[in-house]
Amino acid sequence: MSLAESVDAFNAVEKLGIQDRATFRSSLRATLIKDAKNLVIFDELFMLFFSSYSSPPLTNLAEDLTPDEARMLAEALRQFSDHLRHMLERLLNGEPLSKDELDRLARFVGLAQMDDLRYRNWMVQRMEKALRFPEVRQAMEQLAAMLNQIGMDKQRVEEIRQMLLANQNALENQLRQYAGERIADNLSQQMPEDGLDGLLNRPFNDLSDKDMERLRREVQRLATALRTRVALRQKHAKSGQLDAKATIRANLKHGNVPILIKHRERTLKPKLVVICDVSTSMRSCSELMLSLLYALQDQISKTHAYAFIDHLEYISPDFEGHEAQDAVHAVLQRMPSGYYNTDLGNSLENFSNNYLDAVDSRTTFLIVGDGRNNYNDPRYDLFDLLSRRSRRMIWINPEAPTLWGTGDSDMLKYASSCDVILQASTLAELIDAVDKLLA
Amino acid sequence: MTDSRLFSSPQELRHALGEQQYIASDEIATIMFLSQQLGKPLLTEGPAGVGKTELAKAIAGATRRELIRLQCYEGLDETKALYEWEYAKQLLYTQLLRDKLQETLTGTSSLTEAADRLANEEDVFFSLRFLLQRPLLKAIMSDKPVVLLIDEIDRADAEFEAFLLEVLSDFQVSIPELGTLQAVNRPLVVLTSNNTRELSEALKRRCLYLFINYPSVEQELAVVRLKVPELSPKLAQQAVELVQSLRSMDLRKSPSISETLDWAKALIAINAENLDQKTLETTMSVLLKHESDLQRARRWLQRPNTPGELDDPRLTRWKN
Repeated sequence: MSLAESVDAFNAVEKLGIQDRATFRSSLRATLIKDAKNLVIFDELFMLFFSSYSSPPLTNLAEDLTPDEARMLAEALRQFSDHLRHMLERLLNGEPLSKDELDRLARFVGLAQMDDLRYRNWMVQRMEKALRFPEVRQAMEQLAAMLNQIGMDKQRVEEIRQMLLANQNALENQLRQYAGERIADNLSQQMPEDGLDGLLNRPFNDLSDKDMERLRREVQRLATALRTRVALRQKHAKSGQLDAKATIRANLKHGNVPILIKHRERTLKPKLVVICDVSTSMRSCSELMLSLLYALQDQISKTHAYAFIDHLEYISPDFEGHEAQDAVHAVLQRMPSGYYNTDLGNSLENFSNNYLDAVDSRTTFLIVGDGRNNYNDPRYDLFDLLSRRSRRMIWINPEAPTLWGTGDSDMLKYASSCDVILQASTLAELIDAVDKLLA
Repeated sequence: MTDSRLFSSPQELRHALGEQQYIASDEIATIMFLSQQLGKPLLTEGPAGVGKTELAKAIAGATRRELIRLQCYEGLDETKALYEWEYAKQLLYTQLLRDKLQETLTGTSSLTEAADRLANEEDVFFSLRFLLQRPLLKAIMSDKPVVLLIDEIDRADAEFEAFLLEVLSDFQVSIPELGTLQAVNRPLVVLTSNNTRELSEALKRRCLYLFINYPSVEQELAVVRLKVPELSPKLAQQAVELVQSLRSMDLRKSPSISETLDWAKALIAINAENLDQKTLETTMSVLLKHESDLQRARRWLQRPNTPGELDDPRLTRWKN
């Protein structure tokens, strides 16, 4: 969120005022939030920061009781333990929790350390437990039964019961509100993290879930930069057809003597077939690679994506209209990784049986994997065939060349059929690799 | 055509949109109003066919402004969006005015003098006379205030987006030969995007943001009643409910409002009295544009109590 956007927000609020809550919300929403995904978060936070009431309205029951009823009530209440009686009286009088009481509860359940809204419900539950809500609920039923016994009007008892329930719900709302506010406070005090450059150069194997989360966001930004670079390069490429109109235009200043020759934009964009290893060791690398490729769709004429562990599946449909991360997640749900069962040989066989038509002389064939085959048949013959059929065969491997051929790695033999092998063990390297790929 | 209209409150704007046969929610009206008040472009996003383009047309009608539309596509550049010199006309003029040029240049003693004299006349050839105005320039140069609709901005290249920034923040364009042209009247700008790619932060920062989602049953029914009044209320209700439940299914392309309207018109055309199996079979293709979607919908219609769930491969996997 930029300074300019905050200024807009203030201008908007100035124009429309803050009397109407919905209008106020729309003004902030339109000026501050520019992504549909974030609207949900905004709505949630808006509710917290600009709650329509400071404390929920509680009805005071005690006020509209006849003296007779009050006496009966007092008698019934005497049957309960101290804490329960105290709570019931509070509910009867419609007394909200005070700031002090709330703070004490917060300390008790450890709310001060919470900085994630997902914990909100859990925190509310813990606070309710601390206030012994379930017991109080039981006590209410007992109270109603007792009042019936000592002869209060049936309808009145039901009314009292309903009001008690309503008051308890209101208290619950107050707790929810309070928990939300506290968490939001904690959130806003959090400092933004730094050290992105370090993250870019950290090997995929060392990434924590949190790092991965940040890299996913970073991929979008890097992809934009990369796209501009690729587009510019294609534009300046001197290999296209002569553009008569542009040439005349450029040479007007030379009296139409064609000194500068302009070319039409080069439209030969690569067709891609990507085969990604999504086994546990390769997962983050493959996911980021796929995110990058799908963010660059407009620079590529067509991408067919496949994923494999022990067999191969066509995953392009998963990416249509979904974020790469969700798509990868969906694919992984479908193809759970087993125990040391990566099998590229079998996957290549699947590919040539079912999808061979995706490969033609314009296709760039891309494999993202570590070439570790768990001693299965590597099927070099198929790999060689695919390599000859496609324009280029590119392998992206996170492992350093010194490790190739060690253990169960068949990389050295595959390497002889590849046109280019790029090592990419960090996001920075991966981006360089994609850049070369689109050149 | 009278002068363009300014609104004093979101309610008034909403009412005016209503007169243009556009049913706006409170949020749409409020944000549209803000966009007008703050003079900021409005970026609308949402699924295809929820009336984003229609909103721009309606606001043009409501403010009684001319609508200038720029449809974006891949490869759109400034010569097609902003301006272009009319070379042919320039060349023609040079040919026709050759005598006059000779005349101007007669009596010059040196080449320098001739060049100087020619330079004095240079402005003739690089004037607005030879400038072919494309939508953006037209919107900026127009005497009357206009509504500028930049449709499907997500289809244009990232470079074009960057180029738009100058236009959208200051409403001015730089033409090297002429200098900077400033907007006479600030146009009301509406951008639409189907979210096929992420727009740049810089562009988003300059715009107000409005997300239009599929409407609720009531809203959609109101739209159908308004646009296709011939359809009987009962049938309209049924049709809208069916469309809404289709949207909750996991389809390749969910039916949009415009498709609901097409369908409503189709129902009238074949004189349907209620939504029976046969009517549905014959008209469903107006709503759904993929064979797999059609088949899925048909299967669902035969056993309507399991909305789309069973078709989800991930779920079936867990079930067996």
